[in-house]
Amino acid sequence: MVIGGVNLGASLPRSVVTWTHGVAITLALSGPAMAQGLDPAALLNPPSDSWPTYHGDYSGQRHSRLTQITAANVHQMTLAWAFQTGQTQQIKATPILVNGVIYITTPDNLWAIDARSGRQIWRYTYPANDGFHIGHRGVAAYKDLVYLTTPDAHLIALDARNGTVRWSVMIADAKKGYWSTNAPLVVRNHLIVGVSGDFDNLPGILKSFDPETGKPQWTFYSTPPPGTEGAQSGGATGGQMWMTGTYDPELNLVYVGTGNPTPVLNGPVRPGDNPWTCSIVAINPDTGVLAWGFQTSPHDTHDWDAAEVPVLVDAAFDGAPRKLLLQASRNGYYFVLDRTTGKNLLTTPFATVNWATGVDALGRPIPNPAKEPARDGRLVAPDEAGGTNYRSPSFDPATGLLVVSAHDAYGIYFFKPEHGVYGWAGADYGVHGRGVLRAIDYQTGKIRWSHDLSGGAAGAGVLTTASGVTFTGDSAGSAIALRTSDGTTLWHSGIGRVGNSPVTYELDGRQYVLVGGGSALYAWALPTSQ
Amino acid sequence: MEGAVFTLPLHPWLRKAAWLPTAWLVAVCSIDPGVAQGRGQASPAAQPPPPTTTAQQYPREQVDAGRVRFSAQCGFCHGRDAAGGEGGTDLTRSALVAADVRGDRIRPVVRTGRSDKGMPAFTLSDADLTAIVAFIHDQKAQAESATGGRRAVDVADLQSGNAEAGKLYFDSACSKCHSPSGDLAGIARRLQGLALLQRMLNPASGGRGAGRGPAPATVRVTTASGQVVTGTLAYRDEFTIALTDQSGWYRSWPTRQVTFAVDDPLQAHVEQLGKYTDADMHNVLAYLQTLR
Amino acid sequence: MTARTSLIVALMAGAALSAQGTLPLTDLRQPLRDSWPMYNGDYSGRRFSELTAINTSNVSNMTLAWVYRPNPGAAPAGGGGATQVVIKGTPVVVGGVLYVTIPDHVWAVDARTGREIWHATWPSRGGWHIGNRGVALLGRTVYVETPDCNLVALDVRDGREKWRTEICDLEQFYYASAAPLIVGNHVIVGVSGDDLDIPGYLQAHDPDTGARQWRWYTHPEPGTPEAKTWPSVDAMMHGGGMTWGSSTYDPELNLLYLGTGNPQPVINGRKRQGDNLYTESIVALNPDTGKLAWYFQSSPHDTHDWDATQTPVLIDGDINGQPRKLLAQASRNGWFFLLDRTNGQNIVSAEYVKTNWTKGLDAKGQPIPDPAKEPQPDGALVSPNQGGGQNWPPPSFSPNTGLFYANATRAFSVYYLYENENDEKPQGWGGNDRSGWSEAMLQAIDYKTGKVAWSHKWTGSSSVRSGLLTTAGNVLFAGDASSNFVALDAATGNPLWHAGLHTSLTNGSITYVLDGIQHVVVGAGDSLYAFVLRGRP
Repeated sequence: MVIGGVNLGASLPRSVVTWTHGVAITLALSGPAMAQGLDPAALLNPPSDSWPTYHGDYSGQRHSRLTQITAANVHQMTLAWAFQTGQTQQIKATPILVNGVIYITTPDNLWAIDARSGRQIWRYTYPANDGFHIGHRGVAAYKDLVYLTTPDAHLIALDARNGTVRWSVMIADAKKGYWSTNAPLVVRNHLIVGVSGDFDNLPGILKSFDPETGKPQWTFYSTPPPGTEGAQSGGATGGQMWMTGTYDPELNLVYVGTGNPTPVLNGPVRPGDNPWTCSIVAINPDTGVLAWGFQTSPHDTHDWDAAEVPVLVDAAFDGAPRKLLLQASRNGYYFVLDRTTGKNLLTTPFATVNWATGVDALGRPIPNPAKEPARDGRLVAPDEAGGTNYRSPSFDPATGLLVVSAHDAYGIYFFKPEHGVYGWAGADYGVHGRGVLRAIDYQTGKIRWSHDLSGGAAGAGVLTTASGVTFTGDSAGSAIALRTSDGTTLWHSGIGRVGNSPVTYELDGRQYVLVGGGSALYAWALPTSQ
Repeated sequence: MEGAVFTLPLHPWLRKAAWLPTAWLVAVCSIDPGVAQGRGQASPAAQPPPPTTTAQQYPREQVDAGRVRFSAQCGFCHGRDAAGGEGGTDLTRSALVAADVRGDRIRPVVRTGRSDKGMPAFTLSDADLTAIVAFIHDQKAQAESATGGRRAVDVADLQSGNAEAGKLYFDSACSKCHSPSGDLAGIARRLQGLALLQRMLNPASGGRGAGRGPAPATVRVTTASGQVVTGTLAYRDEFTIALTDQSGWYRSWPTRQVTFAVDDPLQAHVEQLGKYTDADMHNVLAYLQTLR
Repeated sequence: MTARTSLIVALMAGAALSAQGTLPLTDLRQPLRDSWPMYNGDYSGRRFSELTAINTSNVSNMTLAWVYRPNPGAAPAGGGGATQVVIKGTPVVVGGVLYVTIPDHVWAVDARTGREIWHATWPSRGGWHIGNRGVALLGRTVYVETPDCNLVALDVRDGREKWRTEICDLEQFYYASAAPLIVGNHVIVGVSGDDLDIPGYLQAHDPDTGARQWRWYTHPEPGTPEAKTWPSVDAMMHGGGMTWGSSTYDPELNLLYLGTGNPQPVINGRKRQGDNLYTESIVALNPDTGKLAWYFQSSPHDTHDWDATQTPVLIDGDINGQPRKLLAQASRNGWFFLLDRTNGQNIVSAEYVKTNWTKGLDAKGQPIPDPAKEPQPDGALVSPNQGGGQNWPPPSFSPNTGLFYANATRAFSVYYLYENENDEKPQGWGGNDRSGWSEAMLQAIDYKTGKVAWSHKWTGSSSVRSGLLTTAGNVLFAGDASSNFVALDAATGNPLWHAGLHTSLTNGSITYVLDGIQHVVVGAGDSLYAFVLRGRP
């Protein structure tokens, strides 16, 4: 493994970096002829010529200030360039743009692309491994490094200029059943990384590493192993934190959604609420200590992770300004919390639900025991894919709408003791689902508009801009732009199933929107003369 | 096993499938494999999975290589052990796998995907595909000799309903389109257990033998000039409406330029999902099981 | 024939089939508007569209309407490993449906949306899978050639096979890649095969039954004066002259025009002294009988693999104030030829890129090869290189500008001859070239004079192979050397718009109007991209 000084003349380690013809190798060796890397302080107020972290900024609103593309002119957008990865794997990652270079990933793969022309600069391929290659959310960037998590639960730090590997550390033991798709979160000098692991009964872990050296700093357990301090999950494991969190610099709290408990469908073997599975947790990024937790699905038996984006909004609630946290959760409910204390302010459905008998004093839905998986099957809404899932929502301050890629669906859930206590421990089948984009009034939870997405659950996240445009993808293979205020379609392009969340940035005075279609990345902009 | 005679046109049930060599047709038309005939097995133990029709051996190294490749590419959905995972079916109980000979049926599915079920296409080398096939068969062989019903849903599990109550419900909710002596005559001989339940809830998705049945969605399009075109629905999204007309020609229009009406007989099933109680569901299933 | 060996078809939409049909295309002589009914668009080979909605003032507003990425599914029986998809043909569009191919596969796609309608797969017995140029379509039938030497007829509605017939001998290392051309009741097919010394030919089949109607060999009848351009009958019968290019047709003259391939052995010409007719020639045939009407040899006695299979583009123009029926070819050897297409008389012969291999022109206007520039044991520095000034990607002619456009390469390489004991009877290739330097440019040639009116040099990598399209909106569409899809002003060569597709863009783009919207469709790498000018979402 080459660390520190780069010798590109030597044979590369087994992991492969390929160069695009014509790029000057000396450029990398002689120091940054290009601009400096990403200063982590920039994450507090990212410049508009960048998209430096998964959500765009720490709030998770995925809302851009850029206004060159408007509701009136968005239909004129032309294709600036397309980048084909040449794979069958869909692009599910959010592109990260720093210093005119786009970083995009699929499992095991990282491409660095010139944001102006779409030309590949370098490519890194992690060696073949047997972790689940189900998808990847993208890189994190810090100074002159970019970070890639791998299917076999490793964390790789690469030189952002040329893809040379600086160091590689293990996040969790893949042999136990962990894997990672996570786009890490950089908070000052902490690189915070999550993992996945639903097929085995595994403690839920979130780790912080030193971004320069890869040394571990702390581990937070959502379901601490038995004997660990704070173990209270009632025999449940799981609660994996596989989606990227959000951060409030004033409160110095990182907010992360946690996954479902394991065994997944076997509730009886793990009685009680099973904290902190299916929860939103607030963690101190310097220590990894829990400040508060809120469970969206106590004692979940439907695989309804609460890993969806905890969107941070400073706005009025009930007439007073408040620091809010919004989550449209997988279980079909929309939650508003005070993010200082975790106190619940609102809980109401945003998609078809039939599994709860009401909402308790803490604001948590009360699961109906009759809708737990059973030997002869229970018809449950939503299905296992959920009322929403990993698809990032977007908050538009001008309209006060949280725009969510939602899913009205039914599934049948089965469990019997013969199914055992390990992993899935049951069976569920989707019966019917309809993808629909919903605009939720953040204060009331009322649905302002719904836009049918022409199929089952979509794959795309949502982006809104200050000029009142919403970008996303439907379920029939089109990227679409809508008017945020009322959901009217303004533009579409049949680029193939959009599997990631769109981003936007401005370079050379031109606003670009990047959308993944199938396994290719498309860059859109208003036409210029050439 | 009686399969469709392989001359086209294809069986209308298979409208949505993308790749249909002969063997695949045969496999899909089969009855739910996990279930023996009749109902009410005394033992709660699971029914055995459908036996592999053609015995086949694979070298151990190939199976081991296949385990690794399978886990990476397929494991998330189909489980590391091929016995089912997040959204994907239990391959050890699959009729297609049972009928597969050295990959002749498995390979096309992997290379084409099954977009209606959410399975993408995979571009894998011959060597990787062969290894994956070897692993799947090895897992299936192990499952065949194992006992217990891990993650299986057996006919016996589904006998909680009351057939009389089910008949009453059927008469009020289903008889507008269905008849026990007409289209549903003998339904319980054709489908049992989970497959029958899934088909009852939504014929268009889920379960073996899935398909629309003899009830395609139809559409009537009126163009700006007043011309009316009718046919079976071929495609629809927000922007485009398409049909196949009576002569087999594909026609499409931008939705903005025409008016159209879609008649989908299966829509009633979708609406019914919000109306069933679980008891209703089990009762109707019990009633359908009497239609032999 | 068992079900397994029959053509395997997948259907995306349920089809109730009956005898009646709607929208059959039976007249192939239409101007190009709502369809692109054959490989070159129409019989002239100009690849020029009458559409004006997209023009020089608004082409920069084009947007991407859809992308279609064909999935070949399981590998064909004859091949190993997963099939790579690279689109090297031109799609055909008729009745709102687009047909696109790769070897052994045909897809029918909704031309408005890029959604697949059906996919037919041919179980291959082998043959070189270098590429497939596309289908031909007439009435209710789609015709395609396969690498393993078959011509297959499919039902246009669902891709079901109607019949198949062998058109060449796979055992003799023939294969097939060309797009057939339909003229009257003839399906005209060409063949390929450079590895053995086998004769080339063109033949015609009945569109309903597939029965062969005639075959024309690309060599003269023994005993005729033209046969004297070979040292022996044996050499002539093994002389190559493959027919894998695209043909054009004049319905008034009832003449079919084709360029033929290189002679065999390819590089070593020592045992085939003479002009080697009818290799590397432009020939005119009667499409009903297959009889030769006239010929013109673009490259007599070639030893550089310079197939003259480039499109013989039909131009109704004027020379010296007189209206003339003309034919133009920018040939692989770097020369542009303008002929009278009624009789093959040469009017213009001029280099469209600088070359160094001729000693001048003979009385017929054909280039005379310089013996010093034939391949040598110690190498000869020749321009162009083996890839040629032009290759298979098609040119375009705009009657509005009077310019013949060729996306050209100017290149040098060193040609070597293999010397060995088998010198008495060289076979197959007998030599090769090693590439040197090259540069790429788009040449706009004044057809009347052969002079290059303007030349747009491409920056980026050194060679570009991309087909061309021109429109009455005065736009020229091309792929550049950096894999951008570019729109230029056809009169001046000024670039107006581009989209970076970053993958090989070799075939020609096409255009058609549907629902009042003009579409431009191009294949890049493994996908089709459809661009439109849209005023509304």
